[in-house]
Amino acid sequence: MKKRIFAFFMVTTLILALTACGAKDNTTDNASKNTTSDTKNTSNDTKSSDQVDQTSGDNTLTVWCWDPAFNIYAMEQAAEIYKKDHPDFVLNVIETPWADVQTKLTTAAASGDLSTLPDILLMQDNAFQKNAISYPDAFVDISNSGIEFSKFSSAKVAYSVVDGKNYGVPFDNGTVIACYRTDILEEAGYTLDDFTDITWSQYIEMGKDILSKTGKPLFSCTAGESDVIMMMLQSAGASLFDAEGNPYMVDNPVLVQVMETYAELVSSGVMIEVNDWDQYVGSITNSTVAGTINGCWIMASIQTAEDQSGKWGITNTPALDGIAGATNYSNNGGSSWAITSNCKNVPLAVDFLANTFAGSVEFYETILPSSGALATYLPAADSDVYGQPQEFFGGEAVYSMITDFAGKTPSNNTGVYYYEARDAVATAIANVVAGADINAELQNAQDTVNFAMGR
Amino acid sequence: MSKSTRKLSLVKRQKLTGWIFLIPATILIVATSFYPMFRAFLLSFKTGIGANMKWVGFYNYARMIKDTVFIQSLKNTFFYLIIQVPIMLILALILASMLNDRNLKFKGIFRTAIFLPCATSLVSYAIIFRSLFAVDGFVNTVLIKLGILSTGYNFLGHPTSAKIIIIIALIWRWTGYNMVFYLAGLQNIEYSLYEAAKIDGASPFQSFWRITVPLLRPIILLTAIMSTNGTLQLFDESVNLTNGGPANATITMSHYIYNMSFKYVPNFGYAAAMSYIIFLCVAILAFIQMKVGDKRYEG
Repeated sequence: MKKRIFAFFMVTTLILALTACGAKDNTTDNASKNTTSDTKNTSNDTKSSDQVDQTSGDNTLTVWCWDPAFNIYAMEQAAEIYKKDHPDFVLNVIETPWADVQTKLTTAAASGDLSTLPDILLMQDNAFQKNAISYPDAFVDISNSGIEFSKFSSAKVAYSVVDGKNYGVPFDNGTVIACYRTDILEEAGYTLDDFTDITWSQYIEMGKDILSKTGKPLFSCTAGESDVIMMMLQSAGASLFDAEGNPYMVDNPVLVQVMETYAELVSSGVMIEVNDWDQYVGSITNSTVAGTINGCWIMASIQTAEDQSGKWGITNTPALDGIAGATNYSNNGGSSWAITSNCKNVPLAVDFLANTFAGSVEFYETILPSSGALATYLPAADSDVYGQPQEFFGGEAVYSMITDFAGKTPSNNTGVYYYEARDAVATAIANVVAGADINAELQNAQDTVNFAMGR
Repeated sequence: MSKSTRKLSLVKRQKLTGWIFLIPATILIVATSFYPMFRAFLLSFKTGIGANMKWVGFYNYARMIKDTVFIQSLKNTFFYLIIQVPIMLILALILASMLNDRNLKFKGIFRTAIFLPCATSLVSYAIIFRSLFAVDGFVNTVLIKLGILSTGYNFLGHPTSAKIIIIIALIWRWTGYNMVFYLAGLQNIEYSLYEAAKIDGASPFQSFWRITVPLLRPIILLTAIMSTNGTLQLFDESVNLTNGGPANATITMSHYIYNMSFKYVPNFGYAAAMSYIIFLCVAILAFIQMKVGDKRYEG
């Protein structure tokens, strides 16, 4: 009898647990996947992402993008603005992390069944060439659609141009900024001006001093990633590929200089390497490090540490030593909107983008203050909103400063095999930090990329 | 005459019943497993970027030999296999025979505690291990507090220690799983055998080595094949714990195949060819293990 009662309780708890889990899954899925604007006719079905083709009726556009505080927010604001003139317009944003966008896109395009794709998706600039060349049928050519690409900075537009055809509408950019904790700098007797327009050797010099006085490194980065390398490279207008698209690593003087600088940053203790993104953000917000250097989108993460308001200052990145064409400006990341071939109403999608992301200064004025989404739409840069002081960053008008940086950033050459090259260089730098010879490692990296390219 | 046809039809009918029961499962397996395998085999003879594929014969297989990252991933995977599987299986055996002791108290609690890791999701346990071994993670904090280290050691940032962490994680996750198989097998061993051995003066080690191991051989074989298979297809730990780093020191074959398909310029032909190499490795190793381990047909 006892056993029976026990068994009964076990079964009921199990059933309760299972049903509770199921219900919870549903709600979280709905909440996370269907971040929709006010007037929505989205099905509450969790599988709405698979039924995109059905929901994209006459006035509905389905969009994939990934950051609720940033690009999703921007998309929704764009819909609000567009709705003023087109009241029956419906936007359906499905939150899809970039890694998932890439996986779903690859799966759909490789299987030849594009019906699972949305009307518009947000694409990392670094992956644009690869996807557009691998799957030319998956995207709509919008060169002659009436969108004025000349109003964007040309270096930015170049990411989404394949064979002279435009496939993307530029969105945010990743102009590199160097952020410093001014209170920690002060403790060691430095000011933000000491870090403006400097070279990496000066940076390391001061970094060592700050480390010995305050115990805090200046900089943290994720081990095994090549973001820092790529930023340094681009600041001198260099790339991992030459103009013909061949890997250019061995005897690339800029790359050798970059590798040496990186190794010195690590060995001097001025830069610490952490293992993943969470630790990286944690090292900034927990005051483990006295600053960071990254694309300007990092400002959103820095501002999550509300208690550090006013203690941050922004300036330009250090430049490489002794390299012709070295600047204090670079870029890391950024994304563009692409219209997929699954879009049933291409004119609507084009019109929507043309009147918001590619045609409305008002739109950019709306999204900037809360999201920090820095426009690559040039007319927006003259707006007053960009000149307003930001209390968090020491009361400086940081956005107009960053826009100024953006205009001075040298362009780079991503190429189709960009991710292969990045990973090969990340492998090389990990070995160099561990003591390997730079030239030998660069030779290995170049061989790896050549191999991936089938040479 | 009529009698004999009836008899035949009875046999036939029985066979038919058997087939009818088998057909649904067979169709499902063929359609969802064998057919894709066949298509993947064809795919492995093609190459090209994304959807533009063309036939190239054995090019993909020849290409693999020159692929340094693939060779590295192959080495890593076999490193895990050779170190981790024996340690894990021996540990599971020892734990199982300890927990099989009739005089042990709170057996249920111990069994549950050791089996529990298997109930955790692969991704979440990998992430927890990653944070445990972070520079400012739990393990480093303890080591610093104990005075063993002065500053945090970057366990996941050095090739050897990163490999060891993966092996520790795998042992933690899978030992209990294999132990359950051994425990089940031990229930079939007559307890009086152990008592008789004890009376004859056998040490615990002797009775383990002379009674438990030989009688559990079929199950040890099963777990060895399953573990080999699982290790060769290792993916979650490589992706989530170390992301293949540092410098590809921990990348596994499956992780590289994933990168080849989804991260890099997609080359599904090459990825399919590499998958077939894993398949071949599993098949060959399983065959060897069966030959070595299965003594049923020996004279």
